[in-house]
Amino acid sequence: MKSGNGKYRTGTQPRTALKAPVDLKSVRKKKQAGEIPTQPNTRMLKRREFFMLLVFTLSLFFMLYRVGFIQFVKGEEYQKKAYSTQTQKRMINPKRGTIYDRNGKGLAISASVDTVSVNPNGLRSEVKEPEKLQQLAQKLGEMLEMDAGDILEIFYKNSRFEYIKRKIDRDLGARVRNYVIGELGLQSIYIDEDSKRYYPNGSLAAHVLGFTGVDDQGLAGIELKLDATLRGMPGKIMNEVDVLGRPISFSKERYVEAVDGYDVFLTIDETIQYFTEKALEQAALNYNLKRGAAAIVMNPNTGEILAMASYPDFDPNDPDAKPDFVDDPDWKGFSSIENTNLLWSTVFRNKVVNDTYEPGSTFKAITAAAALEEGIVRPETTVVCKPYSLAGHTINCWHAGGHGQQDFAHAVYNSCNPVFVQEALAVGIDKFYSYVRMFGFQKRTGLELAGEPTDEEYRNLWHKNPTEIDLAVAGFGQRFQISPIQLATAYCAIANGGNLMKPMLVKQISDSNGNIIQKFEPQVIRKVISEETSRTVRTILEGVVSEGTGKNAYVSGYRIAGKTGTSETLQTESEGRYVVSFAAIAPADKPEIVVLVVLDHPQVEMHLRSGGILAAPVAGKLCEDILEYLQVERQYSEEDMKKMTEEVYVPSVVGLTVKEAVEKLKAYNLNYLVEGSQDENAVVTAQTPRADFSVPRNSTVILYTEGSPQDNMVPMPDLTNKTVDEATATMRSLGLNIRIKGEGTALSQQYEPGTLLPKGEVVDVEFMLLIAD
Amino acid sequence: MRKREYDFWLLFAVIALTAIGIVMVFSASSYYAAFTVNNKYHYLIRQLLWSGVGLVLMFVVSNIDYRRLALLSPILMLVSIVLLILVAIPGIGSVSNNARRWFNLGFTTFQPSELMKLSLIMFLSFSLAKNHGRLRFFFSGLVPYLLIVGFVDFLLLLEPHYSCAILITAVAAVILFCAGARLLHFFAIGGPALAAAAYLIYSSEYRWKRFVSFLDPFSDPQGAGYQVVNSLYAIASGSIFGRGLGKSLQKYLYIPEPQNDFIFSIVAEELGFVGAFTVIAFFLLLIWRGIRISMNAPDMMGSLMAIGLTSLIAIESIVNIAVVTATIPVTGMPLPFISYGGTSMLFHLVGMGILLNISRNNTYSLAPVKGAELLKRARQGEG
Repeated sequence: MKSGNGKYRTGTQPRTALKAPVDLKSVRKKKQAGEIPTQPNTRMLKRREFFMLLVFTLSLFFMLYRVGFIQFVKGEEYQKKAYSTQTQKRMINPKRGTIYDRNGKGLAISASVDTVSVNPNGLRSEVKEPEKLQQLAQKLGEMLEMDAGDILEIFYKNSRFEYIKRKIDRDLGARVRNYVIGELGLQSIYIDEDSKRYYPNGSLAAHVLGFTGVDDQGLAGIELKLDATLRGMPGKIMNEVDVLGRPISFSKERYVEAVDGYDVFLTIDETIQYFTEKALEQAALNYNLKRGAAAIVMNPNTGEILAMASYPDFDPNDPDAKPDFVDDPDWKGFSSIENTNLLWSTVFRNKVVNDTYEPGSTFKAITAAAALEEGIVRPETTVVCKPYSLAGHTINCWHAGGHGQQDFAHAVYNSCNPVFVQEALAVGIDKFYSYVRMFGFQKRTGLELAGEPTDEEYRNLWHKNPTEIDLAVAGFGQRFQISPIQLATAYCAIANGGNLMKPMLVKQISDSNGNIIQKFEPQVIRKVISEETSRTVRTILEGVVSEGTGKNAYVSGYRIAGKTGTSETLQTESEGRYVVSFAAIAPADKPEIVVLVVLDHPQVEMHLRSGGILAAPVAGKLCEDILEYLQVERQYSEEDMKKMTEEVYVPSVVGLTVKEAVEKLKAYNLNYLVEGSQDENAVVTAQTPRADFSVPRNSTVILYTEGSPQDNMVPMPDLTNKTVDEATATMRSLGLNIRIKGEGTALSQQYEPGTLLPKGEVVDVEFMLLIAD
Repeated sequence: MRKREYDFWLLFAVIALTAIGIVMVFSASSYYAAFTVNNKYHYLIRQLLWSGVGLVLMFVVSNIDYRRLALLSPILMLVSIVLLILVAIPGIGSVSNNARRWFNLGFTTFQPSELMKLSLIMFLSFSLAKNHGRLRFFFSGLVPYLLIVGFVDFLLLLEPHYSCAILITAVAAVILFCAGARLLHFFAIGGPALAAAAYLIYSSEYRWKRFVSFLDPFSDPQGAGYQVVNSLYAIASGSIFGRGLGKSLQKYLYIPEPQNDFIFSIVAEELGFVGAFTVIAFFLLLIWRGIRISMNAPDMMGSLMAIGLTSLIAIESIVNIAVVTATIPVTGMPLPFISYGGTSMLFHLVGMGILLNISRNNTYSLAPVKGAELLKRARQGEG
């Protein structure tokens, strides 16, 4: 130090103080000689220090450049990434739009519910003690009816957001909120508003409505097709959060409100839909329909679909529940692919739109319309029904040997195949298929439902280059396939004066405040037949019901026009495939509805498998229910009136003497039977049927002078397959009264055989004409 | 020698940086402190305390002639070595993050490596001022110093404390370089040293991962690249003027211990490019004044001591900012004066006190020399 001090001077020091550059040799020599330079090389020292200043300065400038590069070149990219980690976003599901029927009755409704979620990382920093977490899981498990272990597992996930339970009742949500936030003051468990779809009428219109998934997304039916309309815009809750997902102090919770979905008004009428489904369900039960059934009700004047039903059905509230016909203890629903596929191929299938079938004789209405429109035939034109030979094939009528000579109208009543072969051939290949297309076949109807075949698929169900024999068979509705919705639409054209209407399922879309967003108007696709032809066909079809193969669809007071259909398609199944159907237009003079009922694969005795026997009564009853509901006034024909007067009201004879009573009953056209003392002056103490009860004329009233009706019970006999006369006699012999419904052979009776009934009881028995077509 | 005034601009830079440090430590640490020790002022209070004590010590030291202090340097060196050996002994040094670096004194922790930085700078300057002539010779001149530095490094690696070893080696290299070590020798040692370092990085999976993560931190943003990625998010979020003081989001535990090594990214996030520029500018001012002092020191010992103390700050700040800007792999080096760090703050300020004292003995301390003139003079010296 001493050597350095004092001798060392700064840069102003004369250069002489500095040693000249030394060569290595001389230095070594000096070192050996003990001459080591003690004078510091000031120039070099300063130069090197100055060099370090440059190095440090440049380095820091480079660092400044790096900061700028990150902030200005990479800034946006990094900021975006930073934003996504620094903010937590919770979605709020919008309220899904309501689906209403045409009268504003809610068919699919979204209820406000709550969803419970958690920020596990945040929760664990809020509740540090494992026992307390355990306790919380236990309590929540009890409230939410969940396994506490499952909840605890969620609590220990390395995550900032997990659902605990979605879509719980609002009451329960409020209780959970009270406990978690009110009592415990936790910030990491959220109870957010959510919405849940529910279908107040259960399975009603299930195929039209479809169903939704857990995220409220439409998965089938209108829910799927109009998903974007119904869905709305999700809202969100955004928070700037720390690394554990807890909101930071100065961050304001940003709340973007959800926009509710639009409401959809269907053309469906809830009540008519109910009638339709009941009718199908009953038919399925009675006829053991192996492949289910389909029915559609339309307003022919507008093309609006009033009801659309498919059987079997499902409950959209619980779409993946095990269907009744499945026997599988391990049913897993949507969590199993097999189960899911089964559901889609059975209960979820909307047979009205998704399935095609051979229409059979119901298609004769189309052939008749074409022939009438072309002026080839008139209702009174004489035609001959006898086996028809064409290109080596013989086409027979269902009635052995045919119906012989008759007018065209009666050929339709009798559903004579050979006559329709003649008419189809007379119309000719080009014209016939042109009518087929004009009536809307070979083309999709464009209904707002998924799963309708495409135009090409439809076309492939017809002959590509039809020959005469193809035409001949097509004339009575065989060897091609159509969907129920197509046939119903074609019948609408026949019913409404000849206009092919676009089938409508959606009437209107409006927002949650009721403002109309979109209104759908009936749309005429084209004029197919003239007003006159339309009227003529309707008149002929009315005859089918009043005196032809459709007699079982007859409803007194309502003029129903219709056509039966039976087809047997050769399928892989050995027993073949029967589809029986009935298409109806009612009332025939001023049509309000078109009804099509298709029953697939009825498992009844062979001779009963016809549209006239199976489908006609279902369609007739359905027409009656609907027309009554639509308050269409009954117009009774003379025959109807005659039948109506066959009923009388039982007078009260209790308290009278037997003599007086018998006189009174005679005046009412009623028979009598006295139980107990037969004395003329004995007083009647009781009577069956009771007073003011409507009974058929000539029924027997039981008069009691002793004892009571309870002491005179008789078992109900089995009347199945008995004729009207046979059945009447059997009942009379037992002292029971019969109310005859229909004609032909007994099909069903009000009480099961063996049921004990008091004597004098009136029992309804349905009879049916066994007719094929 | 007549006592002169302190170098004002150096003092200004030190106080400015310390003040920024206090503010930023509070801003960066409040949430972390509230979260960990349930007191958001925890780090602020300590930073204030250490800064206060440090500034007082700085003024005290600045009034002690550095030549007298330098006489103590061999003893300080010995004490530092003993402490470094002691701290490496289990049971005496306390462990944190798998390293045994601290003495737990109860009210605070103390890192002997901090003391070693100062001791080594002083000792090397003290010794080289006498022996600079020998430095031209490899074995008799340079090697003994290399052995000393190597020994210190060895002790640091025992803890282990790699970043400090690197720093001490770098600072020693600057001192030796300025003292006149031959460039040829530097290359002869530096080449193999770099190769050895490369091998060390490659041989350990941990180090290799850290190294690779620096090249592409986004390849493993939740793992090895986590700190760097979040540092980049913070800096990028700052833009020109920053989110505003106290409004960092990344300090919400996204950056672990935001008041420590990564505080610069919080500065950049809250105060933006302007803030980062200001901090860097103060460091530039400090380095410029520090090297000016060394160039104008009255003797070689003062000159070497000044360049050593300045390099210490320069290298630490450059490395720290390079790390947070993903320019070099992560090394645990705090940002001098700004990062929270009890005793290290104290020693940095003591170092600045020595530097200030050297400035009082400067021949030019009354007349600030302009850069251009400096250059001119340097050229004159050459010509």
